[in-house]
Amino acid sequence: MGRIRALAGIIGLSAGLLFTTANLAVAAQPAPELVLNLTSQQANLSDYQGQVVYLDFWASWCKPCQRSFPWMNEMQAKYGEQGFTVIAINLDSERKLADEFLARLPAHFPVAFDPDGNSAQTYKLKGMPTSYLIDKAGNLRVAHQGFHVEKQARYEQEIKGLLAE
Amino acid sequence: MQLTNKGSVATALAGAACALLGTPAAQAEEDMLKDWKFDTAILYYGETDRVSLVEGVINASKTNDDDSLFNVKLVIDTLTGASANGAVAQPYAQTFSRPSGKDGYVVNAGDTPLDDTFRDTRVQVSSSWMQPFADTWRATGAVNVSTEYDYLSLGLSGLLEKDLFMRNTTLSAGLSFQFDSIDPVGGTPDALTSMLTPTYIGDDNDEGEDEFEWDDDYEEGENKTGSESKTTTDLIVGVTQVINRRMLMQFNYGLSVVDGYMTDPYKLVSVVDGAGMTQDVIYEDRPDSRTKHSFFWQTKYALDSGVVDVSYRFATDDWEIDSHTIDSRFRFNLGDNNYIQPHLRYYQQSAAEFYRPFLNQNDPMPMYASADYRVGEMTAYTVGLKYGHKMENGHEWAVRAEYYQQDPKNAGFDEPGVLADLDLYPSVKAVILQFNYHF
Amino acid sequence: MKRKLAAILALVAVAQLSGCASLGVQPWERDLLAKDEMALGAEGVDLGLDDHIYFSKEATSGGRSFAGGGCGCN
Repeated sequence: MGRIRALAGIIGLSAGLLFTTANLAVAAQPAPELVLNLTSQQANLSDYQGQVVYLDFWASWCKPCQRSFPWMNEMQAKYGEQGFTVIAINLDSERKLADEFLARLPAHFPVAFDPDGNSAQTYKLKGMPTSYLIDKAGNLRVAHQGFHVEKQARYEQEIKGLLAE
Repeated sequence: MQLTNKGSVATALAGAACALLGTPAAQAEEDMLKDWKFDTAILYYGETDRVSLVEGVINASKTNDDDSLFNVKLVIDTLTGASANGAVAQPYAQTFSRPSGKDGYVVNAGDTPLDDTFRDTRVQVSSSWMQPFADTWRATGAVNVSTEYDYLSLGLSGLLEKDLFMRNTTLSAGLSFQFDSIDPVGGTPDALTSMLTPTYIGDDNDEGEDEFEWDDDYEEGENKTGSESKTTTDLIVGVTQVINRRMLMQFNYGLSVVDGYMTDPYKLVSVVDGAGMTQDVIYEDRPDSRTKHSFFWQTKYALDSGVVDVSYRFATDDWEIDSHTIDSRFRFNLGDNNYIQPHLRYYQQSAAEFYRPFLNQNDPMPMYASADYRVGEMTAYTVGLKYGHKMENGHEWAVRAEYYQQDPKNAGFDEPGVLADLDLYPSVKAVILQFNYHF
Repeated sequence: MKRKLAAILALVAVAQLSGCASLGVQPWERDLLAKDEMALGAEGVDLGLDDHIYFSKEATSGGRSFAGGGCGCN
């Protein structure tokens, strides 16, 4: 009987925890400033104000990131001329792993390297990958948790919406 | 237009064929973006003087756009060789009838009686579907079917998983139902009734085969009926926890309730007199219900170049079998494309409450009795080594060689008369060889 | 004795769960944990083959997953 009670206790505690949800809603707020260590130069995130920015946090070990790169290349090609850019911040602790990933899946958009994870701390990332859409005024408007191939069309609509503002 | 590389089964198989021939695949498929993945293996298990098994596995999984996962697995194995039939050795030759009842076999003096009737092929198909939903939940449903000439097994299971605390913690709960039907060759023997002992009359016939004679009163299959069945209901609840950047732990509690026929219809128990001489050989019988509890704990630790994986399992049940299992694998990466992995396992179990290496003629007949060493007291250990290599085209192969030894022990039974001079608990020694291919 | 042991182990499990909130890593620190060989289900084919052998030769099965076996192995 003691066994059954203990088991019921575990199930009850678990049930209680099940109802916590991760709140990912982003109220419009200015995008926190970042120093970007790009491949060939250094820049600030605020330098991109006036453009719609798709800020993506990725790493070589993150499997959905492998599916997001071809799509991000496509978005860059389609909307780059209209004042849109992807900025992908790499969080690998070893630069070598990021370079190997980029050799297999080349990026046609700016890539920044943050091995210490400072930008991830600033943006309080809750998962990998995480991406934010920043409007022309420099405000965070949309947050995406993970990369889901079936949500690609919706992501593209969001970009078009912000470009039209 | 999607730029993702969907890949195709045909291309993957062609790649595998090219890799096996030693030439690089014409189109090196990027392993990363492939949706279908295949794992194949072939295993040989061989015990010294006893059972041998060859088993082949093909496992295919497909990851879909919504991250759901479909898995299908095919297993085929063939078993040959001899297993201990449960009777005790004697200082003279013994004859036994085969399960079919129409034939017999002779066991030499001093030898552990082994029945070499079993030549069996088994086919198993299983399939599962994992569906993620509501961001942190996963639900999995699985079916499996296994069939061999005297045994059919049908199973259904479900598993629910929930991630918490930024996916540092995962809770899981699963339920499984299995229905097994056994149709023994010759029929199911009546519990604890005598095996018909044939008389050996020589091997003078044209083929040089052993010939046997049966008692005039013998009516074939008179103490054997038809088929039997059992159901197994399993519940498993678990917690997986990330400890730190290098370490992961899992803790599972499992409850298993089995109801139905669990006796081995081919196993025997010898009834001996005060001098240890066999007077009768009867069919074993086990209880028709069994409730098992298991507590499983596993840790995986990431080294700079490798992984240490250690697990401990404690199991206890109402047959009074308690067991401890420690299983460990140490993976050492050699560069980016090779690894070696030593494997060490230690297992110890206590005897079932109804385990008897033999029965004493003068004692009252117990309700249940089995002399099968697999429900007796024993320790077992496995030592092995695996070597794996990843090829340029992303495919991987590995080889594994292991040695498995089981040491049955005397669970505290006196050995009267002649039995004291015989080895009643021989060790079983086996070699395991396996080849894997992943593409 | 067995009941006490089971109750203690159940309490350990519950205690571990409440301590879970403080253990773990940030989402971008999962590089080593994301490796294929660190997955709990890694080498699934090997584990399945081993389970089959040990289910046929020993009295205990499961623990890692469901205890039910599917063959009438001799």
